[in-house]
Amino acid sequence: MKTKLLLTAVTTLAAGALYASDVPPVGSAAPDFSAPDANGKTETLAQYKGKYVVLEWFNPECPFVKKHYGSDNMQKLQAEYTGKGVVWLTIDSNAPGTEGNLNADQAKKVMDSWKTKQTALLLDPESAIAKAYGAKNTPNMVVISPEGKIVYEGAIDSKATPNPADIPSSTNYVKAALDEALAGKAISNAQTKPYGCSVKYNKSS
Amino acid sequence: MPSLRQLSITGCVILLAFSARAQNYQGKELVKASLVADTPAVVPGKSFNVGLLLRMAPGWHTYWKYSGDAGLPTEIKWNLPPGWKVGEIQWPIPLKTIDPGDILTYGYQDEVLLIQEITPPAKIDDSSIKLSAQADWLVCEKICIPGSATLSLELPKSTVAEAKNTDIFARYQRLLPKRFPDSNAAAANWSRTGSDLQLKVTSDQLANYQTIDFFPLPQGNTVVGHPAVESRDGSGITFKVPVESSDKDLSSMPGVLVFSSSPNSNDRTGWELGAPTIAAHDDLQLPKPARGLFGFLLFGFIGGFILNLMPCVLPVISLKIFGFIQHAGKDRRAIFRNGLAFISGIFVWFVGLALLLIALKAAGHQITWASQFTNPYFVLALSVVVLVFALDLFGVFEITLPQSLMHRMLQSSTREGEAGSFFQGLFATALATPCTAPFLGTAIGFAFTQSSSIIVLMFAAVAAGMSAPYFLLSAQPAWMRFLPRPGPWMVHVKQFMGFLLLATLLFLIYVLGAQRGLEGAIWASCFLLVIALGCWMKGAFIIPAASRAKRSVTILLMLLLLLGSTAYFIGDKFQGSKMELAQGTSGGDWQPFTLERLKSERDAGHAVFVDFTAAWCLTCKFNEKAVLENSEVREAFERHAVVKLKADWTNGDPVITKLLQQFGRPGVPLYVLYPGRSQEPIVFPELLTKNILLDKLETISVASR
Repeated sequence: MKTKLLLTAVTTLAAGALYASDVPPVGSAAPDFSAPDANGKTETLAQYKGKYVVLEWFNPECPFVKKHYGSDNMQKLQAEYTGKGVVWLTIDSNAPGTEGNLNADQAKKVMDSWKTKQTALLLDPESAIAKAYGAKNTPNMVVISPEGKIVYEGAIDSKATPNPADIPSSTNYVKAALDEALAGKAISNAQTKPYGCSVKYNKSS
Repeated sequence: MPSLRQLSITGCVILLAFSARAQNYQGKELVKASLVADTPAVVPGKSFNVGLLLRMAPGWHTYWKYSGDAGLPTEIKWNLPPGWKVGEIQWPIPLKTIDPGDILTYGYQDEVLLIQEITPPAKIDDSSIKLSAQADWLVCEKICIPGSATLSLELPKSTVAEAKNTDIFARYQRLLPKRFPDSNAAAANWSRTGSDLQLKVTSDQLANYQTIDFFPLPQGNTVVGHPAVESRDGSGITFKVPVESSDKDLSSMPGVLVFSSSPNSNDRTGWELGAPTIAAHDDLQLPKPARGLFGFLLFGFIGGFILNLMPCVLPVISLKIFGFIQHAGKDRRAIFRNGLAFISGIFVWFVGLALLLIALKAAGHQITWASQFTNPYFVLALSVVVLVFALDLFGVFEITLPQSLMHRMLQSSTREGEAGSFFQGLFATALATPCTAPFLGTAIGFAFTQSSSIIVLMFAAVAAGMSAPYFLLSAQPAWMRFLPRPGPWMVHVKQFMGFLLLATLLFLIYVLGAQRGLEGAIWASCFLLVIALGCWMKGAFIIPAASRAKRSVTILLMLLLLLGSTAYFIGDKFQGSKMELAQGTSGGDWQPFTLERLKSERDAGHAVFVDFTAAWCLTCKFNEKAVLENSEVREAFERHAVVKLKADWTNGDPVITKLLQQFGRPGVPLYVLYPGRSQEPIVFPELLTKNILLDKLETISVASR
């Protein structure tokens, strides 16, 4: 078990190095990863093969993230789709010492006070997952098919503002992508320009 | 960690603080916002500049109109009294920052002034005017805080204009990108390889700068990677601009070419690289400007094929099909050879044209597609050819050149037909050139920016497209059974086609009239009459039955007539007929176009619509009648106070030629709407429709609100 974990970690890092500057395009295989969640449990992408997986890059300090949590928009999405069997992984890829980096205790506190509804909140202080997916923003959204292919990447919705008042009048791309995917239809808007704060990478990376 | 202390208090507090749009962060005021004007008072009807001045706390920055990998551009919403107009934000060239994780952003540190032009109405009742605006921005250091402010500026009414705040306005106006220089001073070329765009800029001025960068302005949902310099030499620089979204058709990207002595230095200047937006309509499969070489060749092929259906070729095509019917009785190989001869005529024309073009381009001439039609002598020559063919069809005489000259050259009677086919191929294509169908326009426009070999390739593709049906029909004559059987009716069809050619002739004379006035058209017609007389003489007297002496006299007379009429009607009268320019064609509320006029109207903040047209352009005429002069469209133009300019290219005005090139168009028609002073011009498809035009007209009122 230990060796397997180590192996996954190594491959994840290797993948991370490989993809450091490139965003894997929509339609390509989603890079596997392994990271501990707020409760110390190890989560990998491979374990969710056969299910739709949503990746959501997170930073509790970022006004764009707050826009969607403060309005309960993100929690509702999480509840709706985890209820439909979708796995929702929130990822904190901010490096230690930067704004928004969370340790396990802090992560649990945010989850409690914000009443989040994701499957798990992963801690990625080395930013390995972010690098593997070329994630540059919070929130940055990725939808992965049961076959392990990236089927959507980009923004959460169509209005790139930090203002929660804009949510009702915007198109939620993640919701649209999941609804179409779950209904067996092709995703009409498979890539959009993400908006938000930057993922806080470590200075040396 | 103060951030976590905040967090642990409870999320609600953060969220409340957030919705109140905190200006203060940990006791610091992050952004001081204010409005400044470049005048102490408002003069009715006279435009002035107002700027949103943002002063950021040390280390914090706000963003450019394209913020990069993160961030958001600052927004300004004006609340102006009715009748007031405001221009687009004039964004100074930003600083480029790269944060850990290769996160690139474009923004401003310390201070920025976002200038907009405000145009008051010609009549102002109040003695002082309050201008108010809401500004929204995102200011970031390590974290980002959205801010907003409702600002106002009160200015008295005055009758004289004075300057104020000149230093700060000058400081930021210096940082505004300039328009891309004229084509003789600089050139920008885009190409695409896989998912990367390549931008090559050549200009002698590049050598003056240490640092040259390209700041992209992706449109819509396009996701752009980080532009990087690929190569640089004395007068050229090439950037790689990765496109990360799946915009397969994207062929260029607007942006700013930034020059400075070192990265982010204060002496930075820039050139705007605009990509004219194509106002495409969903139900119209119009060519996007974006295609690889193969795509363009395909378009060339399709365009060539469609040329067969153009009204200016159709008569000739019918003529050729008629030829096929005539040959249907002969053996297959003869038919195929005829077909190939016709096709080689087409190819020779296009490749010849390509070579001519390359030669002229090399000689430094400005040459564009269909520019042949701007030359009245070309039109005249074509008129002669059309008339002669028409007379031939009427039976006034027979074109029997092969009997003397060609016969000896080609030696067999079947080959006579082939020689005829070859010239018919040439002739058909000569007539086709002004029909720049939408497809062909894009393809040829692309070809004009390319190397010589690609131009030849491109024209060959057009030739291949145009020949395709003949190739098929001559290779597989069985399909000709779809064509009617020969019979006495053919004589009637032949004569009828003569009338089609005469109709074409009328059109050509109309073009001559537009170029050289009524007199010019009359003198040209006189010349044509003499040509017709000559043809009749040949048909009536130069027959095998006539005696040698009789034939010699006739030939002598014909030559005399021809030379005399050429010298008198063309060399003297037609040559001297005066040019009649735009006045003839720009009727009603259309104003003649000049560059100065366009510039002054745009500087005054007016929306301008330019109709690039020519007397010989049928598509232009059609669009003008069906769309531009449509009452609904006229009303919309009026409602949005659009200045309508007509650019007449009938005689190949070099200023207009240059402008057409800047829009990547080889010829007319071209329709361009300049919505506001600093907005990108909107280019309309060549097949203009009422809906597209009305749609776009609606957007300009939104932009200026």
